[in-house]
Amino acid sequence: MVLDPAHGGTDQGARGTEGISESDEILQFAAATKKALETQGFQVILTREGNDNPSFDDRSARANAQRGAVFITMHIASTGLTGTARVYVEPDAPQPSNITGLIPWDRAQTPFLSLSRKMGELVQQELSKRFKGSPDTLQTAPVRQLRTTAAPAIAVEISSVAVKERTELDRMVPGVAESIARGLADFRPTYVVPTIPIPGGSVQP
Amino acid sequence: MSPKWTVWLGGVLLAAVIAAALYFPALRRQVNKAKVLTEKTAEQARRELLPIAPVSTGDPMVKVKMFWGSRGQEGELLPVVVELPLSRDPVLRAKQVLNTLLAGPVDAESRTLPPDAALLAFYILPDGTAVADFSDEIRTSIPSGIQSEQLAVESILRTLEANVPQILRLKILIHGQEADTLAGHVDLTQLFRVNAKDAAGTQLDNPSPPGSLLPAPIRKAVDKMRRATKR
Repeated sequence: MVLDPAHGGTDQGARGTEGISESDEILQFAAATKKALETQGFQVILTREGNDNPSFDDRSARANAQRGAVFITMHIASTGLTGTARVYVEPDAPQPSNITGLIPWDRAQTPFLSLSRKMGELVQQELSKRFKGSPDTLQTAPVRQLRTTAAPAIAVEISSVAVKERTELDRMVPGVAESIARGLADFRPTYVVPTIPIPGGSVQP
Repeated sequence: MSPKWTVWLGGVLLAAVIAAALYFPALRRQVNKAKVLTEKTAEQARRELLPIAPVSTGDPMVKVKMFWGSRGQEGELLPVVVELPLSRDPVLRAKQVLNTLLAGPVDAESRTLPPDAALLAFYILPDGTAVADFSDEIRTSIPSGIQSEQLAVESILRTLEANVPQILRLKILIHGQEADTLAGHVDLTQLFRVNAKDAAGTQLDNPSPPGSLLPAPIRKAVDKMRRATKR
């Protein structure tokens, strides 16, 4: 399980009231989610734990180097109804035509799209139960971080840094962590690493 | 040196250090301010050089559909019909509707693009692929987030789809350069599908040069804009 607290370093992401910066605030969401996932028996890696800013590719590589990993990139928006959370997956894309059986890095997410959708639906259902006003269904958006990730991958975006007081965001932390952990626990039994067909009829896991 | 002179010299040195400590931060602020002004002036000069799509009084008044944000429904777009004098030429027409989109709706809260962003250039290639080049403000002034960036891109795509049927796909550039993302989230390396007639989809399988996701004709257009920006 690879958890990605977005932004970091000089990239502070969204900035809001009371000096809230997305890159700092999201670390506490990620830490709580890690704990909740570990309670469910998942092994969890964070793409960053301090104020560094790995590249999109470096973050994806953490998941791509594991077999059977899943990936969640976590964000806090600067807009949206405060106290809600949305899950995004990549839009449908044609399977890359290749003759090698290898997945092109730039389209690494494509073979995993149906699994990402399944995982995203389960997490969104949990989030909408906890946070009134959140959508019931997951959203699609071409999120750059997801495109190069060769694993079931979703983006979770929390609204927002524009809260009146920082405590409003802090209060969301346990609920977001618990919702993601529950969604992932429901997803685990259905996750089979997809095989990629290669010429000659054999498959590459 | 007598003790009296040592005290005098020490006093002068101390005064110099205090003066420098007070002066240098102010100097740094002035330099930073001048730097920002120079960058803005360069951007302004470029905008002035590039002709804004002319609105000819001879152009017929046409009802166009603009897609701005919906106030009632969070994260949704709402078509708004406005009447504009529009050119029949697809490039001019696209510039006119995008400039109207950038100018924004009457209700500022329904705006999807930053008010200070500008369309710097627009081309349509023979295969129906369009290239739109926006100023830096589209990246720096937009509220950061997946939802807001997605809404901005969707409003551009749907407005073009509704008003310029010749455009099948769109490549978005920022200040003549290919950008990885709009403002850290939404992927701009791809070609966006504008019109349903584009069966090839957003991710084209055309052979691209190594290290690029772009087919050769788009790459040429991007290079052309990059050269124009450098001038």
